[in-house]
Amino acid sequence: MRAPLRAGVVAAAVALAASCGTLPDMPPPVPADLVPTVAVPSLDPEESARLSPDGFDAVQRMAVRIRNVGCQGLSTGSGFALDATTLITNRHVVADSESLQVNTYDGRDIDVSAASTAALADLAVVRTEDELPSAPELAEADPEPGASVSVVGYPSGGALTVTAGEVIGTTTDPLNENLGEVLVTDAPVEPGSSGSAALDEAGRVIGVVYAKTTDGRSLVVPQSTLRELLEDTSAFTPLPAC
Amino acid sequence: MTSPTPSWEAAGPVHRTEPAPGRGTPRRGRGWRVATIVLAVALVVAVATAGYLWQTTDAWEDHAAEWEGEAQRYAEQVAALQVELDGVTAELVAAREQLDTATERITALADEKAQLGDENVASQQYLDYQRRVSEAAGVVATALGQCTQAQFQLIGYLENREAYDPADLERFGEDVQALCDEATEANDQLQQELSR
Repeated sequence: MRAPLRAGVVAAAVALAASCGTLPDMPPPVPADLVPTVAVPSLDPEESARLSPDGFDAVQRMAVRIRNVGCQGLSTGSGFALDATTLITNRHVVADSESLQVNTYDGRDIDVSAASTAALADLAVVRTEDELPSAPELAEADPEPGASVSVVGYPSGGALTVTAGEVIGTTTDPLNENLGEVLVTDAPVEPGSSGSAALDEAGRVIGVVYAKTTDGRSLVVPQSTLRELLEDTSAFTPLPAC
Repeated sequence: MTSPTPSWEAAGPVHRTEPAPGRGTPRRGRGWRVATIVLAVALVVAVATAGYLWQTTDAWEDHAAEWEGEAQRYAEQVAALQVELDGVTAELVAAREQLDTATERITALADEKAQLGDENVASQQYLDYQRRVSEAAGVVATALGQCTQAQFQLIGYLENREAYDPADLERFGEDVQALCDEATEANDQLQQELSR
């Protein structure tokens, strides 16, 4: 009789101990702050591109319209800001001018202080007295065939227009206005587009539009040529008055 | 299996074997006491466990109720924020449409201003051209008048030829011819300019 009792007591003790392990715990207190940590939302590139002081993107803000009041008449062209007071355009846009008048994308007049032209390429540098709204970056390298290209300018002297296309390749300048090769793109351009910036997908300048071929393609002075001439202090000479 | 073999015993008095006093009864009583104690302890443990479980159940019920309340509160906040977000999104869409319209309008106005500027410059250049043409016409008219006047003067000299030195008359005639040639040439240039 003693052995079964002892076994019963031991079993009871074991059952008691085991039951303590299986009993549910008391609930924890409910947290006072249940707001989860949320990552800061970020704008996608398309949305961030819309962020500007006035709703115009950087591509539009850097473009200017150039009116060449010449001794023999009137002509218009395009250009783009290189920095706060420097414009890049074509030599033939500013040639034979009595005065140059520059307008921004929003119609503001920008006074011109000086202009100079390059002898070895159809390029010109125009200095302004007023600050320009925005300036793009120059691309690090010339684009490969097939790369996307956008041209922003004032075709036919009309409204600010952005056209798109692709780089087709390179060719020697059929107009003999530029040393070295020039880019050929299928981005539509018109007279008045001369001096427009040709941009890559990131909005960096890959060249300067200077001509249109008979089959509707556009010819572009590559950014490498522009860089070389800008680094050469003697490449640009003051524009003579007509 | 084998069936038990029946055995025969002689009839006689039956002797019962009684347990020895003081040995079997205390042992059974102690066992019952231990069993009673064990059962009592088990009962106490069971009661305690039941009480604990009761309290735990109550606590978990309260806990669940608090969570439900929190969930309800946050659900209401989410609903309110969703409504607010929908409103802000609608305002943003409207603002973007207005911004697009405004930028298009600004571009159109900038273009109109540029075209007016071109027309203004072209008009100014045309006026300058007209002024230059008028000035040139005046110069030509003056030259032709001087030519005519000189020719009249030469005719007068020739009508009274004896009164003048022939060499002087010839020289004067050559000067008049040169003056009239210049006037005629200027007039031709003017006519060519006007015909363009």
